[in-house]
Amino acid sequence: MNTIKRISKSPLPYYILGGLLLILTILLSTATQDSSRLNELFLPIFGLAILTLILLVGLLFRSFLRLRRDFKTQKPGSKLTVRLVGVFVLLILISTSIVYSFSVHFLHRGINSWFDVEIERALNDSLELSRTAFGDRKRTLLRQTRMMSGVLSEVPVSEFNTNLRDLTDLSGAIELSVWTMDGQLVTSSIQNPNIIVPDLPNEAIFRQLKQEEDYIGLDPGDNDRLQLRAAVRIPKTGMGEDEKMLHVLFPVNEQLSKLGKTVQDAYTDYKELNYLRKPLISIFTLTLSLIVLLTVLASIWFAIWISRRIVQPLQDLADGTQSVASGNYNTQLTTKGGDEIGFLVQSFNQMTQRLTKARDATQVSHRLLEQQTNYLGAVLGSLSSGVITLDKLLYLKTANVASSAILETNLQPHLEMPFSKLEQQHRHLQSFIQMVTTEIRNKINWHQQIELHNGLQLQILMCRGTPLLNGVGWVIVFDDITTLIQAQRDAAWGEVARRLAHEIKNPLTPIRLSAERLQIKYEPLVPEEQTEQLHKLTNTIIQQVDAMKDMVNDFSDYAKSPSLKLESISISTFIHEVIALYQSNTKHKITLIDSPDIALKLDSNRFRQVLHNLIKNAIEASEDASLPVTIQIDYHKINDTPGNWLELTIRDSGPGIPDDMMTKLFEPYATNKIRGTGLGLAIVKKIIDEHQGSVWTENLDPSGTCIIIRLPLEKTIP
Amino acid sequence: MPAFATAKAIFTSLLLLLSLNSLAAEHFSIDNPTITKIGNGYTLDANIRYPLTPRVIEALENGVPITFLQHFQLSQPFPIIGKHWPWGWQKTLWSTVIAHELRYHALSEQYILLTLGNNKQRSFPSLETALTALGKIHAFNLPPEYDIEPNVMTFEIRTELDIHALPTPMRPGALVSDKWQIASPWVSANWP
Repeated sequence: MNTIKRISKSPLPYYILGGLLLILTILLSTATQDSSRLNELFLPIFGLAILTLILLVGLLFRSFLRLRRDFKTQKPGSKLTVRLVGVFVLLILISTSIVYSFSVHFLHRGINSWFDVEIERALNDSLELSRTAFGDRKRTLLRQTRMMSGVLSEVPVSEFNTNLRDLTDLSGAIELSVWTMDGQLVTSSIQNPNIIVPDLPNEAIFRQLKQEEDYIGLDPGDNDRLQLRAAVRIPKTGMGEDEKMLHVLFPVNEQLSKLGKTVQDAYTDYKELNYLRKPLISIFTLTLSLIVLLTVLASIWFAIWISRRIVQPLQDLADGTQSVASGNYNTQLTTKGGDEIGFLVQSFNQMTQRLTKARDATQVSHRLLEQQTNYLGAVLGSLSSGVITLDKLLYLKTANVASSAILETNLQPHLEMPFSKLEQQHRHLQSFIQMVTTEIRNKINWHQQIELHNGLQLQILMCRGTPLLNGVGWVIVFDDITTLIQAQRDAAWGEVARRLAHEIKNPLTPIRLSAERLQIKYEPLVPEEQTEQLHKLTNTIIQQVDAMKDMVNDFSDYAKSPSLKLESISISTFIHEVIALYQSNTKHKITLIDSPDIALKLDSNRFRQVLHNLIKNAIEASEDASLPVTIQIDYHKINDTPGNWLELTIRDSGPGIPDDMMTKLFEPYATNKIRGTGLGLAIVKKIIDEHQGSVWTENLDPSGTCIIIRLPLEKTIP
Repeated sequence: MPAFATAKAIFTSLLLLLSLNSLAAEHFSIDNPTITKIGNGYTLDANIRYPLTPRVIEALENGVPITFLQHFQLSQPFPIIGKHWPWGWQKTLWSTVIAHELRYHALSEQYILLTLGNNKQRSFPSLETALTALGKIHAFNLPPEYDIEPNVMTFEIRTELDIHALPTPMRPGALVSDKWQIASPWVSANWP
C-alpha cells in the first residue's frame, strides 16, 4: 500500500502515461495509412484511444473535483494552484486550437487537392477509349464466333470434337466448348493441355442466349489477365437435337491487356478514392481530433500535476509559517531541488533554527532573571530593614517582608496601587507617606528620621530614598530604630547615674559624719536655748544626706546591671509573698486573682523590686489623688509568637496616666510626682528588658491604670 | 471513482446504441439449407439471399470491394450431468469460414466474385447474377473426419458482410451504421 502511494506521488506514472500516449498517437497515425500493416488493427487502436480518452476525462474530472474542493475549503496553496492551472489550460487551449484549426484546414485542402475534374474526365475518357478499342475486337471476334458456329451447325455432333480442334487452331482461341442450353458440356477443345475441364459460362450467358441474343464480353480472367468471352447459339440442323451453344475464350493481346489493366486500376483507384474522400477526411479529422484531444487532456492533467508540484513547497512553506506563527519554532521543511524555491525552503529552515536558538536563549536569560529576582527577593526578605520601591507615578511596586513588619501593615495587597492610597486605610502611616512623597518630589537622595504614633507606642523610623536607574522610580529603605534610640538613651542615663553615684556618694558620708560630730561635740557647748535648733539643723543635714544617699543608691541600682541569677519560682507564691508585706495597712486592698500556678525562671530579688516599684507606684498614685487604694493583680499564660508567655497585669483605681506621659513613662526622671527619684519605672523597664520581656501601660476606663508585663516562659529563656 | 463510473456509463450507452443498430439492420436470409447423404459423406445445399442496401451498392459501384463471410459450424450437445439429461450447451466440433470478395470491374463492366480461400474468380455481367451465384451453395462437403450423427449433431450456417475488410476510412462509420451491419442469424440445416 505504501509502495503504491509512493509510486502515485512520484512522477513515474505521469512519464509512463506520457510515453503510452505518444506510442498510441504514433500507432493511431500509422494505422490510418492504408498501406500500413497496422491498418488491420485500426479499430482496436481507435477503441483503445477512445478508452484512454475516457480514462483521461475521468482522471481530469477527478483532479478538477479535488481542485474545486481544495479551493472551496481554502486549503493553503489552492488559490495559486488554481491560478497556475488556469494559465496553463488557457495556454494549452489557445496554442492547440490554433495548431488544430490550421491542421484541419490543411488536411481538407490536401485531400481535396488530390481530386481534379480534368483528371477525372481524362480517366473516364481513357476508360471509354479502352472500351472502344476492345469494342472493335469484340465485334470481330463475335463475327468469327458466329462463323465458327455456322461451321459447327453443318457437321454432326459426333464430329464436333475434330472440328473444334481445327477451329481452335485456326482462330487462335484459348478454349472452345459446346454446351447444351441447360448447361451440360457437349465437347471442348482447350489449347492448354494442363486444363481438362473448360470454364463454365455463367447463368447470365445462358439466360441471354435463351433470349436469342449472342454474348460477347471482356472477362478479367485469373491473374487479372483479360480475355474475351463469346457465346453464340449453334443453329439447329436436325430435328430432335437439343439446342447447343458455342462458348469461346479468346486471348487478348498482352500489350493491350496490360494497358487495359493499367487503365482499369487507375480508374478504379481514383473512383474509390473519390468515393472515400468524405470518409477519409472524416477519419483523418477524427484521428487528428483524437490525438489533439488526448494531447490536450494529458497536457491539462500534466499541468494540474506540475502546478501542484510547483505549489507544494510553497504550501509547505505556508504551513511552516503558520506553525511558526503559532509558536512551534523548530519547524523544519524538507528541501527539494536546488532552485529558488529550494533556496527559500533552506532559508526558512535557517530562520526557524535561529528562532529556536533565540527562543532558547531568551528562556535561559528569563530563567536567570527569575533566579536573580528570587535571589533578590530572598535577600530583601531576609533583610531586617524595610525596602519598598515606587514607580515614577508613585505606585507601590515591591515591598519586602520586613517593611510590612515595621509598618505593622501588610503591604502585599497594596502592590501596583498608588502609594498615597495606603493613607486612607492606615491612618498611622499618614506622616510616613506624606514625608516620603514630599522628599521624593524635592530631593534626589535623602534620609530622614520620622516618628510614627501607633496607638500608644512610639516608633522611630530612619528612612533613606534613592532614585532607581533611568528614573523609573525610587527605592525607599527604612529601619525601626526605636530600640536603638532607647538603648542609647538607657546607656546615657546609666552613665549619668553611675557618675552621680560616684561623684555624689563619696562626699555624703563625710558630710553625714561631720553633721553627727557637730551634733555630739557642739551640742553641750551651745546655750540650751540653741540646743534644739542645733539638733534640728544637724538632723536636717543628716536626713537630707540620707535622702540623697537613697537617691544615689537608686541611681546606683539603675546604673549597675549585675548578671541575672535565675532560679525557678512559683509565680503564685512569689506574688503572695510580695503582697503580704503590704497587708499591714488596712486601707490598701491588694488582691491576686486566682489562677493555675505557673513556674518560671526569674531573678527573684530583682523581680521582687519590679513588683514593689509597681505596687508602690500604684499606691502613691491613688493616695496622691485621694482615691481608695485598690490593686488587682492577675497572671495567666498566653500563646503568642514566638512561644509561650506569662502575662502579668497590675490594675489600680488611680487617676490614670496623662497622654503626654504615656510615651516616655519608662524613661528616667519621667515623673509627675512630688516625691521619688523618677527612676522607679525606668528600673522596672530595665529589669524586664533583662528578662527579655516587655512592659507597657494602658489607661483603664473610666479611671485607673493597667501595667502589663510579659515574660517568656521557661522554655524560651536562653 | 468518478472516472470509472463515467467510463461505464459511456460504455453502456455505446453498447445499447450498437444493439439498437443491429436490431434495425437488414438481414441476409438463408433458405432451406438441406443436407444430402451421398455415399458415406454428406453434402449441403442452400440458397442465401443477399439483399444489399443502396449504400453498399453505391460503394461497390465506386470500386470498393465488398467481402462476404459464410460461416459453417458443426456442433453437438454436451450434457453436463449425463447422456440422458438434455441440459448443457452445444460443443462446437468443427467450423470454417469462407470469404468471398465482390467487386466491380469497370473496363469489362463485370462484377467479379473472388473466393479468397482458393482464389477462384468468376465474373458476372450484373450484380444480381453475381449475388445469386454467391448465394448458391451447392454440394458443400461436410467434414468427413467426423462421425456424423444426423439429428443429434447440428450443422449451422451463417453469413455476414465483413466490415473489417472495408477500407480503413469506412470502417468506423460502418461499425456504427445499420446500413453496413448486415448478417443472417445462425440457421440449422435439415438432415436427410
